[in-house]
Amino acid sequence: MFETRAGKASVLVLLGTISFAQSQDLPAGTIQAKVNTACAECHDAGIIRQQRLSEKVWTKELDKMIKWGALVDPADRTAFIKYLSESFPPDKPSDLVIRVAGRKTR
Amino acid sequence: MLSRRALLRQFSGTVLGAGVSRPLLSWATDTPAVSVPGKEGMIVRSGRFLDLEMPPEFLETWLTPIGHFFVRNHMHEPSTLDADTWRLSIGGEVERPYTLALEDLSKLKSHTVTNTLECAGNGRGFQRPRVPGVQWLRGAVGTARFSGPRLHDLLQHAGIKTTGKHVMFHGLDEVPGRVPPFIRSIPIEKAMNLDTLIATQMNGAPLARHHGFPARALVPGWIGAASCKWLTEIKVLNKEFEGNFMKPGYRMPNQSISPGGEVNPDDTHPITILAVKSVIAQPVEGSFLKSRTLRIHGAAWAGEAGVTRVDVSTDSGTTWQAARLGTEQARYAWRLWDYIWQAPKPGQYTIMSRATDNQGHIQPQTAVWNPSGYLYNAIDQVDIHVRD
Repeated sequence: MFETRAGKASVLVLLGTISFAQSQDLPAGTIQAKVNTACAECHDAGIIRQQRLSEKVWTKELDKMIKWGALVDPADRTAFIKYLSESFPPDKPSDLVIRVAGRKTR
Repeated sequence: MLSRRALLRQFSGTVLGAGVSRPLLSWATDTPAVSVPGKEGMIVRSGRFLDLEMPPEFLETWLTPIGHFFVRNHMHEPSTLDADTWRLSIGGEVERPYTLALEDLSKLKSHTVTNTLECAGNGRGFQRPRVPGVQWLRGAVGTARFSGPRLHDLLQHAGIKTTGKHVMFHGLDEVPGRVPPFIRSIPIEKAMNLDTLIATQMNGAPLARHHGFPARALVPGWIGAASCKWLTEIKVLNKEFEGNFMKPGYRMPNQSISPGGEVNPDDTHPITILAVKSVIAQPVEGSFLKSRTLRIHGAAWAGEAGVTRVDVSTDSGTTWQAARLGTEQARYAWRLWDYIWQAPKPGQYTIMSRATDNQGHIQPQTAVWNPSGYLYNAIDQVDIHVRD
């Protein structure tokens, strides 16, 4: 009855798998490598890429992560906040949805 | 039949493969595929820590197959789980602290509770202004039959002192860096409720490792975070546990705040019971439909209350019609619902669903905004296009 995205699930899943590496990269920037390193202990880039936050909220989140052990040189803190809030602001469209590879099972 | 040790080895063997099997720091340069055996087709909200959401179109049955059940982790999953060496300690404000092996636990009288488990953050991705956290939409929720001994029986055996007011759960979540451990507590009244379990089974099978093998708390009708996984310690306390995941985590403001506003953590209360809510499984957002006759369907739940009706609107909320409720029901479980609709003509439509519970709560037009996006339960809606 429905002609939906679900009807093309296998295609989407395949595309999702292929595109995962691309979509999971953080965008280019002078501080990108340091952000990768600081966050990778606990997170992949996907959790960062799905956020859409103001500079104020990014600041709060970054400071929480630093408190919890993210290794951020204090001299880089402002650059981190600028990079994150410019890369993932509230008005940016959502990322592509990524699926676990393989066909739906029961 | 597999022995428990063999079963565990099988689980342990998939520890890396079942998550995202990439070494530390490799993701930036590697080209990984997301492989989570048994969870094919699920939405990956986070590969590390693993957070998987059920796509709405997977919601087809009253009991959610384990492969479609959402996964929420606050930390790394345990890297090893050994059923033979696993122990559960019961202590704190009790007369007779003791420790159980899995074999001991399995000898205790088992009870079954069918429960809809929902992450407190389900729907966070719909909150405006946006809030930080896993951007769940509709599918951080599922319903399963959980089985295991009653927490009541374990605590009664230990003998709770009159000073015992709260019960703390601590599991094997692996804590990275200086992240506070994932420890939570529930009030003694809920702990002693005969429906609160230490579950070892889900839908008749041993708990899968993503869902807390070998034992987890099952606090029915409450937010998912109350039902701690990989449980190793139950401790009776004289007050609510003080830790990040009790405060400031998992709390709601006592006062209403304007969207985007800030909250004083001292002016909040812990989240406990789930809110009344319905979601639309099909048609999915953005569907282009060939037929004008549609079966609109989904699920509705209300924590400790029962869903009494679901209404559907096909005209952006101007008029509402009662949906048919499914016959399968249990105290803490969702009700499936459906509504057959004949679209009057081709075009764009906004379909909505609205649940009502037996305590008079109605799913609101707008959810209560809070800085962590907890308990989002606004009327669900999808935009669809019916073709010529």
